[in-house]
Amino acid sequence: MSGRPGRARGPGFTLWIHGAAALLALLCGFPLLWMLLTSLEPDAEILTGEPLLWPSRLQLDAYARLFSETGFAIYFWNSIKVAGTATLLTILVATLAAYAVTRFRFPGRELVAGTMLFTYMFAPIMIVVPFYIMVRSAGLMNTHTGLVLSYTAFSLPFSMWLLRSFFRSIPLELEEAAMIDGASRPQAVARIIVPLALPGVIAVSIFTFIVAWNDYLFARVLISSDRLKTLPVGMNDLYNATVTDWGMMMAAGVVITIPALVFFVLVQRWLIAGWGAGGVKG
Amino acid sequence: MAAVRGTERTIAWRERRLAERRVPQWLWGWLLLAPALLLVLGLILYPVAYSFWLSLHSKHAYLPVQTFVGLDNYLFFLTQDREGFWRSLWLGTIYAVGSVALQVVVGVAAALVLNESFLGRTFVRGLLLFPYMVPTIVVVILMRWVLNDSYGIVPWLLRSVGVGAPGFFTGEMMMLTLVLISTWTFFPFVLIGVLARLQTIDPDLYAAAEIDGAGAIRRFLHVTLPQIASVLFVLVLLRVMFMFTKFDIIWLLTGGGGIGWFVRTLPVYTFMKTFQELQVGAGARLSVIMFLILTGFAVVYFRLFRERSEEGS
Repeated sequence: MSGRPGRARGPGFTLWIHGAAALLALLCGFPLLWMLLTSLEPDAEILTGEPLLWPSRLQLDAYARLFSETGFAIYFWNSIKVAGTATLLTILVATLAAYAVTRFRFPGRELVAGTMLFTYMFAPIMIVVPFYIMVRSAGLMNTHTGLVLSYTAFSLPFSMWLLRSFFRSIPLELEEAAMIDGASRPQAVARIIVPLALPGVIAVSIFTFIVAWNDYLFARVLISSDRLKTLPVGMNDLYNATVTDWGMMMAAGVVITIPALVFFVLVQRWLIAGWGAGGVKG
Repeated sequence: MAAVRGTERTIAWRERRLAERRVPQWLWGWLLLAPALLLVLGLILYPVAYSFWLSLHSKHAYLPVQTFVGLDNYLFFLTQDREGFWRSLWLGTIYAVGSVALQVVVGVAAALVLNESFLGRTFVRGLLLFPYMVPTIVVVILMRWVLNDSYGIVPWLLRSVGVGAPGFFTGEMMMLTLVLISTWTFFPFVLIGVLARLQTIDPDLYAAAEIDGAGAIRRFLHVTLPQIASVLFVLVLLRVMFMFTKFDIIWLLTGGGGIGWFVRTLPVYTFMKTFQELQVGAGARLSVIMFLILTGFAVVYFRLFRERSEEGS
């Protein structure tokens, strides 16, 4: 919607907008650029008290330390595993549920959809206390299973709500036509519905992945063994454990941010669509 | 020939549909819903109910001590726990109101800028959404570095221009620092919502206002603001609910003790009661109180603003 007709802008206004945009870009971009620079800077130049705007040379030592001297690689793998499993499970369960409420008529259908949305109101901090007791009595303390289940449960209401709106917009006739042509119902769903609802499925996967990738609270409460820690807990403990190695912490920050960033850049368009349809939690 | 095959197919399909009907629709519906329903009932709604029950008990986190105390301990929080409960409620309110206000101001301003045309607009839009995508733990450690009193770039810049560094991680500054950091990372949420709405405003409205001789500020107040009022209504409600229950960014930034004292909001207090003092019953009570406060807030908020924002748009 740039360049609206009928809105004549003077050069002063144009200048002003460019200035404001540059300021905002600087405020958002600079800390992240600084993180990247610090991670590539030689150690001796980090703690000078007089920050160098550009290091004398760029090097990857901090990254090497991060992967060889700490448990970072394990935390990273744990996070990928937990977030990935929670994402797959959420997509599967939410797709089935969204399909049920859009394609079958049964009493209580609207009630279920409404209840799902209502649960969106409960913040993690309100659930974590009873959840902790439940997980402990189920013998799931210190397992990734407990984490995967909690992230799935937290992402489900939003995911189902979003997929429901996508499924609704797909005409029933498409599916019936496929079934007339000999496809079974599961085949019709896999070949017709899921591809058409792909933007929704993608929005749901990013949302779930980021919920799981980001979570500190549940991971802190449910996991105690160092081997099983996910990134947020692992990185926080790393930070608190020793005299802070800033170069290494910034390297960790860069590595943790990359998966979220890649996801985001790839699917920005759909994510924004998802935002419009129901909001992202956080 | 083709027609005959088509007919056969249709017949085969009808037979299959009939076979399917032996399993009635409602059963199919509930079967497919079952996994989602079980997860949400078992892992969200049941814990919420359980937490109401727990809140009426005094329960230790590890020892099998559990006694019924009824509402007495609620009274403790409400009447005695001035330094704990009331203080954390007050700090939590300051944090929620302060950071939501700033997020709205910055978010709306940024949306207005992004709604204009300028060089590199797509790039800047991506950049402005970025802070929201950075994981909280990274935001926290990055800000500790950037704002670090001895080595950080921001205090250094402030000192070089002669302002002097305020000491971002000291008692008096802690709440402000926390609000600023939270605004940095959460304002894109408001930005997206407002920008989406701005792009659907009819340009004729602006043209008409300009013919009437309205300047930029009057155009914003009389055209833009009424148009975005309804989306702001939802965004403010969501933001307040999220910020009032925000735990991780505060905890990671300060921990519970030391300077954490100055930003010990209700969620932080709940966590400390449960997992440091090991009083699960007290933690559950605080969770329930948070839930009641938010519900009350939502009801009052709707009463106060719903009609007005509906009139406006």
